Amino acid sequence: MDENVKENPVDIEIRDPSKRNFLKAMSVVAVAAAVGGVGRGLVQNIIPKDVGITGFPSLTLVNSASGQPVSTSDIKVNDPSVVLFEYPLQGEPNFLLRMGDSSNRDVEVKSVNVSVPSSGKKFQSPGGVGPYKSVVAASAICEHLGCVPPMIHFYKPGSSIPGTSYSGASNKGFVHCNCHGSTYDPLNGFGILSGPTQKPLPNIVLNYDSTSDTYKAVSMVGPTIYGQTDDLKGNSPLSSDTQTQVSNSGTPK
Amino acid sequence: MTEKNDPVFVKMMNDPQPIPRRVPDYMRKKGGIWYWTGALVTIAFLYEALTGLVILFYYQPANAYGSTTNFLNSTPFGSVILTTHLYGAYAMIVLLYAHLLRNLFVGAFKKPRMTQWFTGILLLLLTIGVGFFGYSMSGDVLSADATDVGRGIAQGAPLIGGYIERIFFGDGTALSLFQRMLGWHIVLTALIGVLFMVHFIIAEFNTIMPKITKKEFKAPLIDHEKPDYKPWYPYNILYMVELTFFMFFMILLIPSVLTLISNVPALFSPLPQVSPSSPLASIVPPYPPWFLLFVYKAMDFNMVSVIGTFWGTVLFGGAPLIYLLLLPILDRGSSLKLVERPLTVSLGIVGLIYMMGLSIWGALTPGVIIPDWEVLLFFLIPAVVVFLLVYSVTGWIKRGRLKHPHPERIFINFTFLGLSSFGLGMLLSAFLTSRAMMYEIPLVLLAMAASISFISLFIILNEKPEIVEEESPRMMRSRYYVAYSGGFAMSSVAIIYVISGIPDNSLTNGALYGIGLAILFLIAGAIVKIYRRTQFGE
Repeated sequence: MDENVKENPVDIEIRDPSKRNFLKAMSVVAVAAAVGGVGRGLVQNIIPKDVGITGFPSLTLVNSASGQPVSTSDIKVNDPSVVLFEYPLQGEPNFLLRMGDSSNRDVEVKSVNVSVPSSGKKFQSPGGVGPYKSVVAASAICEHLGCVPPMIHFYKPGSSIPGTSYSGASNKGFVHCNCHGSTYDPLNGFGILSGPTQKPLPNIVLNYDSTSDTYKAVSMVGPTIYGQTDDLKGNSPLSSDTQTQVSNSGTPK
Repeated sequence: MTEKNDPVFVKMMNDPQPIPRRVPDYMRKKGGIWYWTGALVTIAFLYEALTGLVILFYYQPANAYGSTTNFLNSTPFGSVILTTHLYGAYAMIVLLYAHLLRNLFVGAFKKPRMTQWFTGILLLLLTIGVGFFGYSMSGDVLSADATDVGRGIAQGAPLIGGYIERIFFGDGTALSLFQRMLGWHIVLTALIGVLFMVHFIIAEFNTIMPKITKKEFKAPLIDHEKPDYKPWYPYNILYMVELTFFMFFMILLIPSVLTLISNVPALFSPLPQVSPSSPLASIVPPYPPWFLLFVYKAMDFNMVSVIGTFWGTVLFGGAPLIYLLLLPILDRGSSLKLVERPLTVSLGIVGLIYMMGLSIWGALTPGVIIPDWEVLLFFLIPAVVVFLLVYSVTGWIKRGRLKHPHPERIFINFTFLGLSSFGLGMLLSAFLTSRAMMYEIPLVLLAMAASISFISLFIILNEKPEIVEEESPRMMRSRYYVAYSGGFAMSSVAIIYVISGIPDNSLTNGALYGIGLAILFLIAGAIVKIYRRTQFGE
């Protein structure tokens, strides 16, 4: 700018750096507020809400065909067919087993300490319930790579399990997965008999009401269900919050 | 080097120009907004793309209505995003028409901007297509009606109708329908993005259409970049930021306020209507989106029921489109003066009256069949009146019997006068036949609009040429701008404090949050404006 030209007072004001900086700071505050407001809405919007429930529900096991509660006589000892119920959420099937010896007499399932090789920890299995303490339940999703029935199912005592040495007296009634050969022992908290799995099946804690001869699923112990980080999240809640249906899809070939 | 007659694409490739070009100061002054109608459309488009991408995380074609209402009611701030996505689209369409009409009347389609005009018309088509699919995706009763009408039109195309219907609407299952609509909504949007870049680069290549002065009323009108033009950064970019803030303010404010008001008419409701399977669906009038109401009303004409809806659409939707495409050939003279282009002016005004008239007609009498003689009167009367008026006025001006500094104001006034008188006549006849309360308020409003346009016509006709004075930049005293900007910034801190406490659990709270956000953008825009005025003298 020419030194001799008398400057307009307005021009001087424009170049006053402190005033310019003040305006800049005010714009930053206002823009930050707007961006912050948008940011809160956006962040809260794009984080999906958790699907699931907050606590284990207490669900009466009912027969899917009759709608009546399942009684002890409805559950057959050493039934080789696939008997399942969903718990605690939709799409999470569980075996319902009544354990017996080779001559189909009820066997009491004791509560034991089950070790989890993947974590090195142990958990206390719930043990059998019912008049003979022989009814147990566990997740039917293999803890190795998530195979579901009929690939994984119960082999009754004495039957031979393909691809393993379990047959005759060495098979006391095991759950075996035909995908990759993992075998679980229902008599000992669905602990691992043979790999490749590194985790036992998650056990369902059942309650037996002797006056009405009914069963309830009340909670779970052991590892989390395969593919989930939390047993209570990641799937939609069941349609009923008082019962879950037990269905029999027949004996796998 | 390029030859003078090479197509614009050849010139662009072989003789590239700097982008973006520097622009003259008057484009950022008061009234300069008319140079930025395209920028406003682009800002609305960006808003749509951003909010649309968020909605994409949640939209389920297998559960269209369910996922829409779920997003609206149960997803945090879903209602703000969904309602403003709708109104951002409305803003984009309204501004697109403003952009189109402005360029039609100032003659911006003339040499050298013909290619620009054609790509613009294609962009209009694409935008209406995206709007149609987007509107139909919610799965509510209005979207089901709109889809049915769209399918019927597509099916009616000779020979390939079935294929067109299946390409756009799927195999007939609901899942396939919504999957296709989602796909087309995004594919056409991507095409808009690509074609917009072409449109924009051609526009930059051809330079802005400069302010028309008395001596240069002739095409080709090119802006010769003068050395005193200020650079883009920071002058123009800050202006763009200001426009963006003000646009976001409008887009956030209107649907949020409408959400708080109950009983907003279905046409302008920011919320989806009931599901088509609901028993309440029968009381919702079968409206298409408002920007297609004019074609929709034409489907009610008796003659269209004879020729079929496909040919009806070709006639009533295609004719204006073909006219717009042919405009650079029809109005090929080099004059940019309105008085020397009475045909373009008359057709522009008549077209606008037809479109708005048909839309109002469609809103008042959805689905009522109109006999041919009424249709004939509707098309004949405005055409005769407008052509007579425009040709008389231009004749008077040419022969010197009427001297007027702004003849375009007379023509704009004709449009409003014609429109309000047309609406008044229609409502009056409806009122006399049924005397319903619902007609009274629009009747009074339209009567007011008609009388205002009538009075302003006389005011305009008596306008004298004004003496243009060189505007000196209005400066704000420093203590005022310190006080203003400080006060504004403090209130935005207060607002962000208040709205960050708003929970995300209901439509009402979402709407309040939206209003808060709108005010934050308004304040940010205002501070940028103060900054530009005090620091740049703009």
